[in-house]
Amino acid sequence: MNYISFLALDSHEAVRPVFLMVLGVVLTILTWRLARTSGVWTARFLVAGALLLGFGYAVMMPLFEAGVIERYVPGAQGQRGAATALAWHVVKIVVMNTGWLLFGTGIAMHAKSLDAPASRPCTQSPNLTHP
Amino acid sequence: MNPLLEVILNQGLLFDALGVIGLGLLGMAAVRLARRNQSWGGTMMAVGAIALLLARFYLMLAPHFVDDDLLYSIGPIGASLTIALPPLLLSMGFAGIVWGLWGHERRLRDENR
Repeated sequence: MNYISFLALDSHEAVRPVFLMVLGVVLTILTWRLARTSGVWTARFLVAGALLLGFGYAVMMPLFEAGVIERYVPGAQGQRGAATALAWHVVKIVVMNTGWLLFGTGIAMHAKSLDAPASRPCTQSPNLTHP
Repeated sequence: MNPLLEVILNQGLLFDALGVIGLGLLGMAAVRLARRNQSWGGTMMAVGAIALLLARFYLMLAPHFVDDDLLYSIGPIGASLTIALPPLLLSMGFAGIVWGLWGHERRLRDENR
């Protein structure tokens, strides 16, 4: 039965929010440092996505887990503070998904996945920041 | 209700698709980074993105096919896995992405030094 308790360790109510908070802050700091050496729009996408994800993981998810923010239950009648729960639910959906979209786009631009392949010989000077 | 709110609430697939597209871009870019720079950070980021995508697909699909019959047929260990595994995948996927980003960023600094 040992492995079941090991698997349940991560869903422990205290460990997971703290873990997510640390990871969210670390992600924001690392992305800030990565964005300093990137191009203008790459840095903007990266930092915007990391700030959204950092807010989502470091502030909003622990508040959800701690019960400070009520979870939205669709179709529940007479829920106390239903409008607030609905608003936070919408904020969670938008922040988490937009954050991953922006961060993924930023990393893809950083890896030059989105650049079109050169169809003719390049006449510009080579980019020296990314050898 | 505000029509924008209604779209966000009822067309949940739309915003889930945004997140899935972002994670897919992240995974592809991470594989590319791993192949170009020979850094383990890219591999770690790709593994993390795959774990997050798996957990997302499970969470989207689970309400449609997980019921008491299925839980009974897979036994107590399987049932506890359905409870324990999605948070584990979500946390470990995010941790993999952050860890891979750290490794990649350190690799870039070492190369530029």
